[in-house]
Amino acid sequence: MSLGDTKSPFDSEEDPMTELKRYFAPTSLDQAVECLKGGNVTILAGGTDLTPQSQAGRIKFRETLMNIRHIPQLSGITLEGNEIRIGALATITEIMEHPLVRQHLPVLVEACDHFASDQIRNAGTLGGNICNASPAGDTLVPLLVLDACVELASMPEAKLYRHCMPISTFFTGPGKTRKSLCELVTGVRIPVPSPDHRSRFYKHGTRPALDISTISIGIAGDIKDGVISNVRVAFGAVAPTPLRATATESALEGRHLDAATIEAAAVAARDEVNPIDDVRATAWYRREMIHNMTKRVLENVAQA
Amino acid sequence: MNVAEKKHRVIEPDSLIGKRIPKMDAPDKASGRTRYIHDINLPGQLHGKILRSARIHALIKSIDTSAARALPGVHVVITAADIADQRPIGVAKDHFPLKVGRVRSQRDEIAAVAAESEEIAEAALKLIKVEYEDLPVIGNPEDSIKPGAVLIHPEPHGADGTHLHLKQGTSIAHKGKPDNVAMRFDYTHGDVVHGEAESDVVIEDTFKLHYVTHCCMGVSGMIAEFDAGGNVLMYSNTQVPFLHKREFAEYLNIDPARIRSRKDGTLTFRQVHTLHDNGAYTSWGATTPFVMMQTFSSLYRVPHCDYHTAAVYTNNPYAGSFRGYGNLQATFAIEQHMDMLAETIGMDPLEFRMKNAQEAGEVTGQGMSFKSCGFKDCIKTAAGRSDFSRKFAENHANQKKPGNIKRGIGMASMLHVGGGAKIYPSDGCGTILKLDDFANVTLITGASEIGQGSETVLSQLVCEELGLPISAVTVVNNDTAITPWDVGVHASRTTFVAGNSAIGAARKAKSKILAVAAKKFDCTEADLDLRGGFVIRADSGEALVELSKLLRNLHFQDKAELVMTTFYYEPPSVHQDKGFKGDVSAAYAWGTQVVEVEVDTDTGFIKLLKVTGAHDVGRVLNRLGIEGQIEGGVVMGQGYAFTEDLMIEDGKMKNPNFRDYKLVTAPEIPEMDIAFIESMDGEGPQGAKGVGEAPAICMAAAAANAIANATGTRLFELPFTPEKVYRALHGQAPKRYWKPWKAE
Repeated sequence: MSLGDTKSPFDSEEDPMTELKRYFAPTSLDQAVECLKGGNVTILAGGTDLTPQSQAGRIKFRETLMNIRHIPQLSGITLEGNEIRIGALATITEIMEHPLVRQHLPVLVEACDHFASDQIRNAGTLGGNICNASPAGDTLVPLLVLDACVELASMPEAKLYRHCMPISTFFTGPGKTRKSLCELVTGVRIPVPSPDHRSRFYKHGTRPALDISTISIGIAGDIKDGVISNVRVAFGAVAPTPLRATATESALEGRHLDAATIEAAAVAARDEVNPIDDVRATAWYRREMIHNMTKRVLENVAQA
Repeated sequence: MNVAEKKHRVIEPDSLIGKRIPKMDAPDKASGRTRYIHDINLPGQLHGKILRSARIHALIKSIDTSAARALPGVHVVITAADIADQRPIGVAKDHFPLKVGRVRSQRDEIAAVAAESEEIAEAALKLIKVEYEDLPVIGNPEDSIKPGAVLIHPEPHGADGTHLHLKQGTSIAHKGKPDNVAMRFDYTHGDVVHGEAESDVVIEDTFKLHYVTHCCMGVSGMIAEFDAGGNVLMYSNTQVPFLHKREFAEYLNIDPARIRSRKDGTLTFRQVHTLHDNGAYTSWGATTPFVMMQTFSSLYRVPHCDYHTAAVYTNNPYAGSFRGYGNLQATFAIEQHMDMLAETIGMDPLEFRMKNAQEAGEVTGQGMSFKSCGFKDCIKTAAGRSDFSRKFAENHANQKKPGNIKRGIGMASMLHVGGGAKIYPSDGCGTILKLDDFANVTLITGASEIGQGSETVLSQLVCEELGLPISAVTVVNNDTAITPWDVGVHASRTTFVAGNSAIGAARKAKSKILAVAAKKFDCTEADLDLRGGFVIRADSGEALVELSKLLRNLHFQDKAELVMTTFYYEPPSVHQDKGFKGDVSAAYAWGTQVVEVEVDTDTGFIKLLKVTGAHDVGRVLNRLGIEGQIEGGVVMGQGYAFTEDLMIEDGKMKNPNFRDYKLVTAPEIPEMDIAFIESMDGEGPQGAKGVGEAPAICMAAAAANAIANATGTRLFELPFTPEKVYRALHGQAPKRYWKPWKAE
């Protein structure tokens, strides 16, 4: 769900009735992207965002509702060369429990462990979390620091066309991405991190389960002899999209994780985020938390 | 077993009181068989939908229902204009179910549709055209009492000033108000001026409280049908089936309290002013001061007390009742001040409380008479079991040490009615009891079961009198055509009032049975007793005859006698006088809770570590039930203190969903250590007192004291969200955080 969408049904003057005319459950990727050609399709995977959003009248169904759950190419978690591929239909629970993810991508496991509730994790999919494009989406911050690429499929002519887009360029605003209406997200590809790789995820909410982030922080880098390199920092719920924090990364890249570096990075972080006030917190508090908790996460990395 | 042995069978004394007995409705609830209102569907039923206001505060210029009425499948569309003698509802009768001429708050009802399906009814609502003329919106009580504020219930109170709507309800309907004050309460005992002269130390603060709401398992609803005889049968969810007033639960008070004491630690006077957001209509929220003044005047001995309050109209949702309402708020202020006063005069907070705590035998300035009172035992027990004094000193010493994780411990106590509350001239309950020829009991009681476990406790009390197992009892409590009168399930009164009523009916039945048995065994009634399903000899326990057999003999004779009794219990309490004085309850419940927290000063996040409670419950009847009730109450108090906040801006709810209205979830529930103080109340059923509301009351106050112990920072505004705590720790005022943020 997007950040700041505090709109209640009461506010809505729109007619929430659907224009849904057709239900389609393709069994192959070709069928799916063929169907998407016309563009007037609402995609259903886990339904954990779609259902509440449609019931609250915040989204309207398009003419066709396409259930993508029966497409085999969208499932599975596999090692392909030096990349881990997670299919778009992988549920949060599957990701959390998968040995490849647990071994190589603990930061993603950590984020999944803070994701909603067991029931939602059993149904909600990674592809759905990405396409919902909430600035507070729990898996997005770890995917950013893991330098993931989003796999897209479409059928511009008569032939299946697939390509990848870095996740850092994928989001354009709350609920908005660079995916066109004719494209389907089929999975993500994540480079297997080096043995020196360290990463952390922190989610700040008012309760440990069933909460939308007030802010979230992801930090990853290779640590050798106390020096951090290949730094990637990302923040959630502090900008219109999940944010790669380049100024914070620069403040850390190639430096010893000493107190001065950590403080400089925390200040850089506070200054580069652009949060808003909403029912969960004020912008001021979010900036403070970005500063305080970036510092705490880095201290934790330095001590480990 | 040979015949000789059987003749001399001895039944040992046994008691169900204090045992751990699963709630009688637990199997149905746990297996999903309990039917809520939305599970009920009657053949051929119509579906009702209500058109609610699209404005917060506006005049209704016109309503056009013609298109809706014309929609196939729609049976009826009604508006206020269709009901010539519409009767107002609510405490002040200022509230018409279908709004007349004006809407005053979000979701105000304008029209109602009955149709053959929910979808048709929904479609019909969209066809109703309403023209509004907007009025200024009053979003908080301070604005409501400003000179020149728009009037929310101006005179005359109706669409056109002809008072046509009053024709039927002349004596009850509200006639409008020349200002926005819905109700005032003024209470005094002693002389605060005199008290002030005697004082060495003063503390004065303003406390600001939030709106919360009950979050029931079932949604509200009603199904009605006519039977063949033209009687209306209504299914609904209510805790007051006889009064049937639906309540909506949230409230807000602003509560500036002054309290003074002498340096020897004796409280001298207390002065309180409160301003209450009544919302758009007067419901039970306006009566919050009744409960607040009990705590102000009588929790601790205070010789001079002065309390003034106004409940004022705004365009916010109207305020209703809530578990312990009034007391959570008053205790939040009073118990923080107890800690602050103790600190100011350099006294240990525990000692300061013990010095001023009430004891059995006292009659307070408000006229409450404490016949049983375990208050001091509650304080001592909760403090002892939590190691309060050592931790309090240790945490205080750690406040200034480095580190961002601080621990704190805080205490708060409460006084609440425990023997009903005579808020109406009657506070009674009736019982009808019948034994069948298998010695099964049907207990027909006026008291509703709303999940609190009253069926089980009432059955226990009856079994205790009749010497029967709990499985022998069937409770009938949900049909006003059958059950006798009861005021309602409120004021923590059911165990006490319905319990005494059930005991009364059971004793009458017992007396009837023993009279028959005495004749049969040629002895006196006093020689006999009922135990283990038998009539026994009282002295030896020797079983004389199975009760079921005796009852069968009674039934199968030419002059059959049936064991059917009725009893009505009215507690020996007093309806308060105009100055709010009088012994309003037949008994009073006490409790102390100690809260331990860990505060993360980098985030303001508070981890609730442990709650140690000691409650004077009179006597434990069902140990399993009372543990559940206390633990549930603590969690409800935890939500009130930390997470729950119904955010309202200019009359609109900003978080009308469970994503943003945050209930406590399982991982946040703290460790609990609950002790029971059994003061054996002389009037209580088997010595018990009411405890329904008690456990939710202390949490916010104790948590505030714990946060102060951890950090040295006091919080005067609820709830303690991470941001609010963090702001307070950094010297920033609380912020209504859904307002647009401006650079600070």
